[in-house]
Amino acid sequence: MSYAPKTPARHQRSRSEAKTPLTPSLITGLNSFSLATPAKSRGDTTNPFISSSKHMSSSRPVGRPVSSGRPKSCSRPSSPAKRPSSGGINVTHTLQRQASAGVIRKGGIESRMDVVTRDYVPPPKPEVRRSKSQPSRDTRDRFITTRDTTEDLTAKLDFLTLNPQGASPGHTARLAAATGVSLNSRVLSYHEPPPSASSDLLSEQRELVRPLYARPGSLPTSTSSSSNKSRKISSQPERVLDAPGILDDFYLNLLSWSSLNVLAVALEGSTYMWKAESGDVVHLGDAPEGSYVSSVDFSNDGQFLGVGIGSGEVELWDLETQTKLRTMTGHSTQVACLSWNKHILSSGCGDGSIWHHDVRLARHKVGELTGHQGEVCGLKWREDGELLASGGNDNVVNVWDGRIGDVAPGTRGTARWTKRNHTAAVKAIAWCPWQPSLLASGGGTNDATVHIWNTTTGARLHSLVTPSQITSLQWSPHKKEFLTTHGYPTNAVMIHAYPSLERVAEIRDAHDSRVLWSAIGPGGDVVVTGAGDENLKFWRVWDVPKERKSKAKEFKEGGRGSTKSGILAIR
Amino acid sequence: MPPTKQAPTRQAITLKGSTNLVTEFFKYAANTILFQRGVYPADDFHMVKKYGQTVLVTQDLALENYLEKILKQVNKWLLTGSVTQLVLAIISKDSRVTMERWVFDVNLVKQPTESAEPAPIKPETEIQAEIRNILKQIVSTVTFLPVIDEPTVFNILAYTSESADVPADEWVDTDPLAIEASKSQQVKLRSFSTDVHRIEAMVAYRYEG
Repeated sequence: MSYAPKTPARHQRSRSEAKTPLTPSLITGLNSFSLATPAKSRGDTTNPFISSSKHMSSSRPVGRPVSSGRPKSCSRPSSPAKRPSSGGINVTHTLQRQASAGVIRKGGIESRMDVVTRDYVPPPKPEVRRSKSQPSRDTRDRFITTRDTTEDLTAKLDFLTLNPQGASPGHTARLAAATGVSLNSRVLSYHEPPPSASSDLLSEQRELVRPLYARPGSLPTSTSSSSNKSRKISSQPERVLDAPGILDDFYLNLLSWSSLNVLAVALEGSTYMWKAESGDVVHLGDAPEGSYVSSVDFSNDGQFLGVGIGSGEVELWDLETQTKLRTMTGHSTQVACLSWNKHILSSGCGDGSIWHHDVRLARHKVGELTGHQGEVCGLKWREDGELLASGGNDNVVNVWDGRIGDVAPGTRGTARWTKRNHTAAVKAIAWCPWQPSLLASGGGTNDATVHIWNTTTGARLHSLVTPSQITSLQWSPHKKEFLTTHGYPTNAVMIHAYPSLERVAEIRDAHDSRVLWSAIGPGGDVVVTGAGDENLKFWRVWDVPKERKSKAKEFKEGGRGSTKSGILAIR
Repeated sequence: MPPTKQAPTRQAITLKGSTNLVTEFFKYAANTILFQRGVYPADDFHMVKKYGQTVLVTQDLALENYLEKILKQVNKWLLTGSVTQLVLAIISKDSRVTMERWVFDVNLVKQPTESAEPAPIKPETEIQAEIRNILKQIVSTVTFLPVIDEPTVFNILAYTSESADVPADEWVDTDPLAIEASKSQQVKLRSFSTDVHRIEAMVAYRYEG
């Protein structure tokens, strides 16, 4: 009584939870037993646990030598060992009845017992044991109801705990033998929980994102499908370059591949050149302090690089000497796109204006085009310099007359065509190399549609809906196909046939984030894509056709061979 | 042949071989159960040929490694005879209620007294046939086992003797995740035995009403 009551620990060790009153090993031992009928059916008297009070009081385990006086002896004093008639079988029977795990309830005696509905009552402490009349359970755990010690259930429960110290050795030994379970048994489980059911997280994500970007015809679970019947396009990049610090901004244009096979990349504030032949990386220069590079574009001959700065300047760099030739100021905000037309560098500004810079003149600004309400994010001259196409954040595609300087100063050029079909920002603009009047434009997240225009007539020839925002467009110089790069939610690179608009290939998750930029190599066979995941991936999507091999052979070989070699990081 | 000389060497070999057999069986049985009961998505599993039939094994690396670690330890315990029972408990993910318990008893086959000739070695094919039957039976249990709709997780419990050598940081004592007697139905499945071990299988499932 002087002891603070506590749930007895079985097996001389504390358990974190003592949910089941019974020794688990015992229980399983019982489980493995086939249900044996009791040898004798004496009714309740079979039950060795039911002890008359006489027995109880007469046998107190106080003086047990084995018990170390810990308040945890948990077996009943009136063990069957003292009984003349009870044997192992009875023990088994009653134990089975009491086993709270996995025991089929048959009819009969045990069906009267519903073990679960009773609270567990720990066996009484030896000191507490008195005759029945005594409130022997006072000092127990609070949640334990006071119970008559002679009550069936508790008696049985008490009995079941295999505490070798509390019980008589003979009894426990017989118990153990009967149940076939060794005395000292532990239930162990591995400390880590099992791995959760791995679901395909990516496709799950896509499923969740789907309602936001629902597109007809988008395939829910296709992974990179890469093969056409006629040709296979590898869904793995030929090479990957590291582009640390590249800005994950949809509106910028940070990649340009020159005709001399040099790739320019703008990494936040610095511009780097990667020579495809040798694989060398050259740090070209930095943007002025506090600003960043917002666009890069090589001149047609590949000798000069125009760099647009976030603060509105346009720099001109010479590649031979790797020096900055001039800085052309005037724009009010970031220059997100650039396009060269011989000696004219056109720049699209965040305020929606497009300026023409004649890089040879001191007064470089030779023309201004205002046709956009929103930031100009796509700008492309046609190869012959006749037309200039621009796309803006105002969802408008403008096609401008390319003649500059003939217009009287003061007159603002107006666009030849203004197309408002897109419902999102138009960053992807590309002129078709084999049919000069064709212009392809692609819309952003809300739109995800490619429109193909005839710029002579102004007609919209084709429209192709894609599953995700279109970030750039590249026509193939050799095949009648064009490539689109995408952002949300597929991060894909897709190749479409023209004019059938059949999907030739789709490389889903080409990057870990939105594929924002692309540039086609001078050979027309490799396309580099860049994304905010700081990777530049080179994809060999088109083969240079055999007839032209002889012409393009040395060029291609130089180009091809070089793309395979070289170091793998831009620093 | 002189039994005394040969029997020990044969036993030594078969103990290790037997434990490997038993461990392998546990692996395939666990995989089969996890697949059949839908604990892991069916796509994660691929078929391999084993025991003369196709069994499904998980491709999920995390799960495979997890099972591997557990079974390695079980193997060690089997060699020393410390483990008596292996339980694969399937519990509901949200309510942590035990839905099913797959219980595999490990018993040591009693060695016949040395007076008679040693017991005939059980041919591998027979053992395999027995294992095949158990696995087929596990698959067939789907006919009567209650349908589990909710997401579940599994836990493997090992019943070891007190004296077993337990790596303390890897294995912890836990409660047996038992199903209440009133709600539990048991079905005893087939068993198989090698010359050294006898494995008995049983499934206890939660059955309301």
